[in-house]
Amino acid sequence: MTKIAALERTRHAALRLNPVPDVGRLRYAMIGLSELGTASADFPLCLAKDAHTGRFNLITLFSLEEPRNLFWHAQRWQATYLPQAAMVAPFLLDANTELGLAIDETSPRLGPEGVPLFEADGRPTGIVNEARVRLQRVTSDVADAQQMVDRFAELRLIRPLAVTLTRKNGTEHQIEGLYSLGSNALAALSDAVIVNLYRQGYIAAASIMRASLSQIERLRQLHNLSGTEPIVDLRVQVSES
Amino acid sequence: MRVEDAAGPDERPVRRIVIVGGGTAGWIAAARIAARNATGGGDITVTLIESATHPTIGVGEGTWPTMRNTLAKVGITETEFIRGSDAAFKQGARFVGWTHGTPDDAYYHPLNPPVGATEMNLSPHWVALSGSRGVVGGFADCVDFQGALCDRGLAPKLITHPEYTGIANYAYHLDAGKFAGLLKDHAVNRLGVQHIVGDVVDVEQTEGGDIRCLKLQGEQEIQGDFFIDCSGFRAILIGGVYKVPLCERGNILFADRALAMQVPYPSADTPIVCHTVATAQDAGWIWDIGLWTRRGVGYVYSSSHTTGDEAEQALRRYVGPAAQDLTVRRIDINAGHRQILWKNNCVAVGLSAGFLEPLEASALMLIEISMDAIADRLPRTRRAMDVLAKQFNETFNHHWDRVVEFLKLHYVLTQRTDTAFWRDNVDRASIPDSLQERLELWRTHPPAAQDFTFAREVFSWPSYQYILHGMQYPTRYAELPTIAAERPAAERLLGRAGAQRSDALRRLPEHRSLLGKIREHGLQLV
Repeated sequence: MTKIAALERTRHAALRLNPVPDVGRLRYAMIGLSELGTASADFPLCLAKDAHTGRFNLITLFSLEEPRNLFWHAQRWQATYLPQAAMVAPFLLDANTELGLAIDETSPRLGPEGVPLFEADGRPTGIVNEARVRLQRVTSDVADAQQMVDRFAELRLIRPLAVTLTRKNGTEHQIEGLYSLGSNALAALSDAVIVNLYRQGYIAAASIMRASLSQIERLRQLHNLSGTEPIVDLRVQVSES
Repeated sequence: MRVEDAAGPDERPVRRIVIVGGGTAGWIAAARIAARNATGGGDITVTLIESATHPTIGVGEGTWPTMRNTLAKVGITETEFIRGSDAAFKQGARFVGWTHGTPDDAYYHPLNPPVGATEMNLSPHWVALSGSRGVVGGFADCVDFQGALCDRGLAPKLITHPEYTGIANYAYHLDAGKFAGLLKDHAVNRLGVQHIVGDVVDVEQTEGGDIRCLKLQGEQEIQGDFFIDCSGFRAILIGGVYKVPLCERGNILFADRALAMQVPYPSADTPIVCHTVATAQDAGWIWDIGLWTRRGVGYVYSSSHTTGDEAEQALRRYVGPAAQDLTVRRIDINAGHRQILWKNNCVAVGLSAGFLEPLEASALMLIEISMDAIADRLPRTRRAMDVLAKQFNETFNHHWDRVVEFLKLHYVLTQRTDTAFWRDNVDRASIPDSLQERLELWRTHPPAAQDFTFAREVFSWPSYQYILHGMQYPTRYAELPTIAAERPAAERLLGRAGAQRSDALRRLPEHRSLLGKIREHGLQLV
């Protein structure tokens, strides 16, 4: 359970933030449009539906099935790029508060240890100001990605992504709820639409999204290093119909 | 056949389709043919003539699940449809007061088939196991989970389900006027249907009786190869030109009047009921359906058993204080259908073909399956038309008869004797022989696919089971010798229905909340 409250200098005066992010059990993160290229160097990029709106979000996957982050090892990220949205917890933007931020009071990052959120005189420390700037940047970047994904949906380019894995013990598991872009659908776009998408950077983004699917194999490799039941076979297929 | 037989006017291709009537039937017909032609790269032109002076009836507000296919085929997305027709989901019908007329007398006819319907006929097992080992409740509640969703006002799908898919089977309640407008806009602007507003004043025929052209007021002439009469009760072509008489069914289905009322919701967050409620009255029944913006409520009654004033009072009593300032619309029902539905180069679809009380929302469904038959096998030549017409007439005479019998089934199983309407309904003279015959069989054998001649019946055997058991028809299925061997599999299936129920109740959202989300965010195509 989370408990979201406005960040206040009196209520939260004594609170400290653990500088190590709490991402060990993070399975995925939303990413912004500007992160797409760098994120694809480490993670598979795909689309998943928002449970509240049904609209597609652009996400990176950190694991195949278990609720853990395969890129988090020995209290460190083992990746060249860290998705910004994974770094912002426990802060949230809230324009209706004095400091423009809310906070999840149940976050394990908060406690008596770590870096203080407020100076002795009640002024917010650099951490709070950084959090706000980072959140504003991430929010706007994710909104840009959302706009692109909405356009892909409108053009009927999104297709189910079937990921089927076979474990060493013979059991099979199909990962539900992932989507990517259909190659045939992309190829069938009219010249005018392609030029329009190209100028917005969306064609490049689409190519990166498709190419990044090969990183799902990397998730399998990391999974097999993690000591749980090994995955011996992995099939990744974008429905093209 | 000699080669020269292939020549001549009969071999002329059928290219110009003319539809008379701009109601729901006309626009569904136009959109289905135009969309089929567009996807097939055909050379067909579709023209629809809408009367300038006769308004459409527009009370057909309940659909079947078939509507999802029809909309997908014409290329309207579920999101566009729900937003444009003020549509809501419908998961079946609840019949209140039909068996005894007591306050707790009600049952569901859900749209889901019984669990495992393709594997096993569960009806005798429910009869045998009823009341034992967790098999508690009515037939629909034991063999399926949809009644539980209706009881709690839950939707049949999630916002993450793609268009036209869900967890439970579903249909819609819609605003017929808005729906016709949506179809018109789609057919004209996206499918290239030519739209003409005018009144047909004369019809020119060939020697063989085919319609050659329609003359409109103001001397405009519309020539065509194939005509579809969607002119409603006026039946301009099938009745006016061809004088095809009605097979009247008022001796079986007594209702001949309807009073309709549009009832606003008391507040913007009033729950929207996710099924049709059909409540038995002294001389008929009241329909109650929930749209996004309002309810549609109406009393279907027999004028031989009550007066218009009494009926209006009953309707106002049902609606309660909200009815005070609302006006009532009167509609005459002449139960029956045309003896011939397709004559020469003209076929009747919609109210021109026939009309029955809306007890199982068959009106739009009959339009849809008529258009499936017509659009998917559009006659290529005039010669082909005669065979297609013969097939169509045989098929649809069968369908109309089956609909009449299925509606009558709801009345003949009643145990009510409190008014003449209910007593007269069980008079054997009013019950078709084939229904009496089957009812006799169904005392000892559950309804099954073998009871019916068509591979695709409009009402299939599970529907008959829902009504028979819902109305507590006395059966002796527990004595059937075959059921002992099936028992373990039957118990597994009943257990599966229970598991599906728990899963659905945990996952599915409140009906109005889902409609709101669809209106705000839309549904995805995949």
